[in-house]
Amino acid sequence: MATEKKMFLEALRKKFKESPEEKYTKFYIYDGWKQSKRKREFVEWGTKLAKERGIPFYNPEMHLGGIPLGQRVLMPYRLSQTDIYCEGDDLHFINNAAMQQMWHDIRRTVIVGLDAAHMVLQKRLGKEVTPETVNHYLEVLNHALPGAAVIQEHMVETHPGLVSDSYVKVFTGDDELADEIDKRFLIDINKEFPADQAAQLKAAVGKKIYQVLRMPTIVAMTCDGGTMSRWSAMQISMSMVNAYKLMAGEAAIGEFAFAAKHAEVIEMGTLMPWRRARGPNEPGGVPLGYVADMCQASRVKPEDPTWVALEAISMGAVLYDQFWFGSYMSGGVGFTQYATCTYTDNILDDFCYYGADYVKKKFGGFGKAKPSWDLIKDIATEVSLYGLEQYERFPALMETHFGGSQRAAVVAAGAGVAVSLATGNCTAGINGWYLSQLLHKEEMGRLGFYGYDQQDQCGSANSFSYRSDEGLPFNLRGVNYPNYALNVGHQSAHTGIVQAAHSGRGDAWTTNPLIKIAFADKDLKFDFTHPRLCFGKGALREFMPAGERSLIIPSR
Amino acid sequence: MVEYKPQYYPGSSKVSKNRKKYMDPSYKLKKLRTISDDDLVKLMGHRVPGEAYKSVHPPLEEMGEPACPIRELVEPTPGAKAGDRIRYIQFTDSVYFTPLTPYMRAWMGHTRYRGVDIGVLSGRVPLEMRERDLEKVAKELVETEIFDPARCGIRGATVHGHSLRLDENGMMFDALRRFVFDKKTGEVVYVKDQIGVPLDKPISVGKPIKEEELREMTSEYRVDGVPFREDKEMVEFVQRLHMLRTEAGFDPNRVKGI
Repeated sequence: MATEKKMFLEALRKKFKESPEEKYTKFYIYDGWKQSKRKREFVEWGTKLAKERGIPFYNPEMHLGGIPLGQRVLMPYRLSQTDIYCEGDDLHFINNAAMQQMWHDIRRTVIVGLDAAHMVLQKRLGKEVTPETVNHYLEVLNHALPGAAVIQEHMVETHPGLVSDSYVKVFTGDDELADEIDKRFLIDINKEFPADQAAQLKAAVGKKIYQVLRMPTIVAMTCDGGTMSRWSAMQISMSMVNAYKLMAGEAAIGEFAFAAKHAEVIEMGTLMPWRRARGPNEPGGVPLGYVADMCQASRVKPEDPTWVALEAISMGAVLYDQFWFGSYMSGGVGFTQYATCTYTDNILDDFCYYGADYVKKKFGGFGKAKPSWDLIKDIATEVSLYGLEQYERFPALMETHFGGSQRAAVVAAGAGVAVSLATGNCTAGINGWYLSQLLHKEEMGRLGFYGYDQQDQCGSANSFSYRSDEGLPFNLRGVNYPNYALNVGHQSAHTGIVQAAHSGRGDAWTTNPLIKIAFADKDLKFDFTHPRLCFGKGALREFMPAGERSLIIPSR
Repeated sequence: MVEYKPQYYPGSSKVSKNRKKYMDPSYKLKKLRTISDDDLVKLMGHRVPGEAYKSVHPPLEEMGEPACPIRELVEPTPGAKAGDRIRYIQFTDSVYFTPLTPYMRAWMGHTRYRGVDIGVLSGRVPLEMRERDLEKVAKELVETEIFDPARCGIRGATVHGHSLRLDENGMMFDALRRFVFDKKTGEVVYVKDQIGVPLDKPISVGKPIKEEELREMTSEYRVDGVPFREDKEMVEFVQRLHMLRTEAGFDPNRVKGI
């Protein structure tokens, strides 16, 4: 790729006043934190609030040795493939409402099949189930799900103004049935997906009908992930009783509850072992392939599978690196600085498109080559060395990714995505990632931090392994997979390696068609078709989330 | 049986030869500067020069150790014999042609020294040892050719700098400004110890090594120096290593004739 075509140059020129090729600069002259608008805002608020609460608060002069951060340029960040620039602070999830909403929209979603309930109604109770009764049931449930009563009298209920983002919709692979469902309740596969993807998805779903339930964001914020299927199951059972005029408490109701809580439920994340101590619907239990399927980039721009993979990577970065590792597992704030490397400044984009071009030229397109050692070695080595050489040619690029783990993640992501694109096989892709890590370590004589390197030096050995607790099909791995439970900076790119394999060969989904369809929903608050743009809006404070409490708190 | 002769490292380039050289304990590292024992103690900041070593257990001779074949095989280091506490020295090495990369520090430390515990990160390498053993090793690490005063830093915390551009004097960034370039003498001077506590008086660690010399001494491949892709033996070595690990992880029976 010719120098002027490199995708990261524009951002580098905005970040630093010197040319990106310049090796020398000046330090210690930037007035510390005062160079940053956001840090100045923090100081203003910190000072004011310290007086109000009478307890010392935010004070950057407390930095080690009394020397605050900002001894070099506190560089801005560009959200990749957007025109949005922001400060690093704006990408911490606490400071970014779009990031919070992405996680809340994932956590508050539960998919529950309706077929078991319909079978109980028809075969056990002799009730009639028709599209009309289904529509009526959905109307009842849209009243009940946000927190309203349908059976009991004299019940307390939730204020609609606080829970308006809570609703239920359905989808089916049966066009005739879909035609008879009230459009207000339907996720219309034909409408939301390109025709070839819709055909794949409908064939996978068949004649079954599934509910997609969104619990209120305020519930996702105040309760845990395990709450979600319980909340939905309670409201489903009550709505069944109401809609089908059942006895409250007859034995068959237990069947509805069992179906809604267990038999027909698809949680977004699985339960985790005690050493990680989290219930279902927490970020640590969400498999890589689920995140790839939640990302909806594949249905809006299927002709650019590299872009699709990059959008999925950004979601993985925020969910796994920033929420899970950065907060749930480690506490602290440092992981954001690290995780942004995969979705800012068009750096990973440059590496991935370089790999995609290499694959197109050498293998005639995506998903056309069978995985082989020659192919993995060829592509992963070429893309890895290309990435490393960019850091060495452009000192501003090296300074942007000033941590080795950032560089290791981005270089290996480029390699893994390229192998996935070439083969349509993400197991080959992840193997390319591990070759990249080993090449990187020997080339630079450095890689990431302790844990980072440990994970990647045993990764070659587990990339083809499928035995329980040693391996797993790559789509089903995630931060709960033993070797991936260690540290940040991998699963974002791994999400993209899964995505690239499938979008490269034109698949409508990667792992679970139901998840893909469930998030093809324009009424979700977060825009899953363009996550990076949406994170950028959050950074600019232009994103309006759900779950606001202004109705029940004093006005400012 | 043929006597085992360590090769230390693969590759055919100048960089790989430097790696072999630094890792080979029979190669004597060239001394380039002298730092007094007291100054080194001050730089590390663990004790005041002349102060007795603090201990964490009585001398081994007084402890009455249990019968143990490993203890019989391994001669304790002087620090271990005395019961010294474990202390550290930590280095940051710039990406711009420094003699040692982080992994080189670890590999070299393990081939040359006993009783070391070395961690490797991209931007810093902590080396922990019994205190009196550490002081001896630290002297070699700072006084010889493997240390460049401008592009290597002795830093306990706030270590960032390895990947940043260099300042107008060719110095690596150091947010705490533990070291400064003395324009009058042309030497690099430490004004704070490795954790950032100001020193009573500055300590010179000598003149920076010229870049053209560093390019000959470095153990780092770089596209603007010795490009990794041109060292075909190295590339193929890593690819083979990866392939063997992968196949063995899938099914050890597939790996034959190594």
